[in-house]
Amino acid sequence: MNHQSQIVETFVKKVLAHLDEPDPAKLQQFLQLFNPQQCKIIFNSQPFGQAVQFLQAWQTQVVLTQHLVTAVDFHVIPGTGTLVCNVNCKVRFDESGKDKSGQDSTIPDAQGSTARPGSGSVNSATRARPIWGTYYGVSLQLVLEDRMFNNDMNGVISSMNYTIVFKPSDSLMNI
Amino acid sequence: MQVNGFSNMNQIGALAQQNHMDNLVGVNIRGWTNATQQDLLNFISRKTRISVRNSVVQGDTIVGYVTPQEADQLVKFSGYRFAGNTLKIQKAGGAGGNVSTNDTITVLRNVLMRRYNAQTKMLDLGNLFNDPELVQRGMAPKNVNTQSKMFPAMMKVASKEPNMVVESINLSDNNLRDVNGVTTLAQTFPRLKNLCLANNNISRFHSLEAWKNKFKDLRELLMMNNPITSDRLYRTEMLRIFPKLVILDNVVVRDEQKLLSIYSLPTQQTQFFFEDSGLASSSTDFVTNFLNLWDTNRMQLMGLYTPQSQFSISVDSSVPAATVPNAQTTPTFGYYLPFSRNISKISSDKTIQERIFMGPEAIYETFRSLPVSKHFLQEQPQAYSVQAWTFPQVNGFVITLHGHFDETAKPEMDKNKTQQNSSSSRGRRYNHGFMSSANTKLSQKSFDRTMVLVPNPNGSVIIASDALTIRPYCDGAWSNPVSPPATVQPPMVQPQQQQQPQQQQQPINIPLTQTPPNTGALGTTTLQLPPEVQAKLSPIQLELLQKLHVETKLNAEYTYMLAEQSMWNYDSAMQGFRNSVNNLPREAFV
Repeated sequence: MNHQSQIVETFVKKVLAHLDEPDPAKLQQFLQLFNPQQCKIIFNSQPFGQAVQFLQAWQTQVVLTQHLVTAVDFHVIPGTGTLVCNVNCKVRFDESGKDKSGQDSTIPDAQGSTARPGSGSVNSATRARPIWGTYYGVSLQLVLEDRMFNNDMNGVISSMNYTIVFKPSDSLMNI
Repeated sequence: MQVNGFSNMNQIGALAQQNHMDNLVGVNIRGWTNATQQDLLNFISRKTRISVRNSVVQGDTIVGYVTPQEADQLVKFSGYRFAGNTLKIQKAGGAGGNVSTNDTITVLRNVLMRRYNAQTKMLDLGNLFNDPELVQRGMAPKNVNTQSKMFPAMMKVASKEPNMVVESINLSDNNLRDVNGVTTLAQTFPRLKNLCLANNNISRFHSLEAWKNKFKDLRELLMMNNPITSDRLYRTEMLRIFPKLVILDNVVVRDEQKLLSIYSLPTQQTQFFFEDSGLASSSTDFVTNFLNLWDTNRMQLMGLYTPQSQFSISVDSSVPAATVPNAQTTPTFGYYLPFSRNISKISSDKTIQERIFMGPEAIYETFRSLPVSKHFLQEQPQAYSVQAWTFPQVNGFVITLHGHFDETAKPEMDKNKTQQNSSSSRGRRYNHGFMSSANTKLSQKSFDRTMVLVPNPNGSVIIASDALTIRPYCDGAWSNPVSPPATVQPPMVQPQQQQQPQQQQQPINIPLTQTPPNTGALGTTTLQLPPEVQAKLSPIQLELLQKLHVETKLNAEYTYMLAEQSMWNYDSAMQGFRNSVNNLPREAFV
């Protein structure tokens, strides 16, 4: 019982770190946390049938993010082998205009000049720094299996509900 | 050197005086005619220590100028006896001053209206120098100075015209050297899409810096015939200053599809998610009833909790950024903190175990220790967001509700006081200065509440787990601030656009095209629902639909939408209908 809360908190931070991960190669590790048979994912009140669909959309259609935990609480539901985790966090987006792979939307001009504002490169060594926008508020619920307390993290997430609960007016993002 | 400095000083002095005079207000003094003008001014100066400047005699009135503060004092001096008469002192600013201001506003408004095209949503402010009306009034901008006054005034007038929807602005041929004079454009029209600055004299990037990150929706910019366009870095800099610029001087500079995908998430946020339609009606019913009792009589809720039910609170005290609409900047959590089980903040395992409440008795005691609240689910359904999905391992489901409430009264039971008296885990020394009145001030709060519900064989439900997060108040992200009128009304405006995404995610199973044809008198009296929909509704819901249908003459599909949007509440449904009846399409009605 004693270390449960630490395990839950570490796990939550791990999930958020996976969301903030720019490297697509690490997607597989994230996918392993989700129940492969049946996993419900709700993102901003929109359902995703499979974890892999959601993770791919997150990897390819969402810019770099940075999550920061502000509150975590959890209840172990007796006799079910599950726990419900209730998380609040803040998230900010890279508003530099580049996607996770460093590509932006600028069209090379007529002279073929590559002059782009802070020209991005896929090469991570020369990747421009992200320009973080203002923090959004997030409420996140996770339904987890209590195997995780025995250090078994494979497929323990059986549902995830991610909802942005407040948004700053000075952000460039449209949610 | 010295002479130069001296003459500069003189100029500054003159400027200062000029500026000073600009801020003065006029006063009218009557009842002085038994003495000379100078006698009166000396008298006033002696009695009030106020000197009336630039006074002139107009008939029986002396008109002079003082600062606004002095004017207020002088008016109090009205009624004083002077040379056998009673003085009457009035502020001229109240009458005379405003007439000319109003006049200016009228002129600016006329100019704006004449130059605004409602069809193209375009405001043409090109070549203001030669505007006949402005020239005639002497308000045409001749130099930077007068221009810098006229334009902000014009923008202020424009911002007070709610019917003026502006997407495009033309500021060509205005002899602009920078945008300092017109910088307020960004405040008045932050959502501007197209801007033309052609045929001006803008030569430096620095002069556009005031607009950096301001026009976040600016799609097209025209800068032809400005010296700046020949700069080598012109394109790069414009891309930097206007993050969503797609077309610069008629050339496409950004891939719009790519741009949109970068600045958006994979899905557009909606207010509700219900895994199936049965869950939709049962969870809205549940949430409505639960919050109703939570606000009025928490004891009544205790039947929902079993000895194994768990409840806990976690306080998220992080303050949202100032740019979050209506964010509370100095929230207080005095009543909640003694219960907060936010494990990211609390390290003691003992405390973490103590702050989970199990069984109806412990839970009720905690409920009584929380402030009395008022939720607004029925009055402002758009201020709440709900997700509900099934939870097979418990044969039940999870409901998460996000929203806000008002704290209307102090808790029935003050946990802090009982602790102090019973000298329980928290010693007296921790209470020093802890419960100040500032800490327990009642206010609005935002919250997220997640409940695991398990249906009982007898048809009722029990709450297996109830986790509440309390956080500083702010507007919800799911509401749409772009169109304020729509957020005030229950969400029935433009039902077609708004409904479609929701229809996809909650399979309500009302086929849009297969609504049974309503014929004649029968149609207006009896609501015909598809059988599969009817089967899922409770008799009370069917009765409500029937009642709404008779009242509103809406067809089955729209009646259902109205009922669902209003959380199956008749009064708010009728309110929503009245608010949006003019925006409903003809086919919404029988």
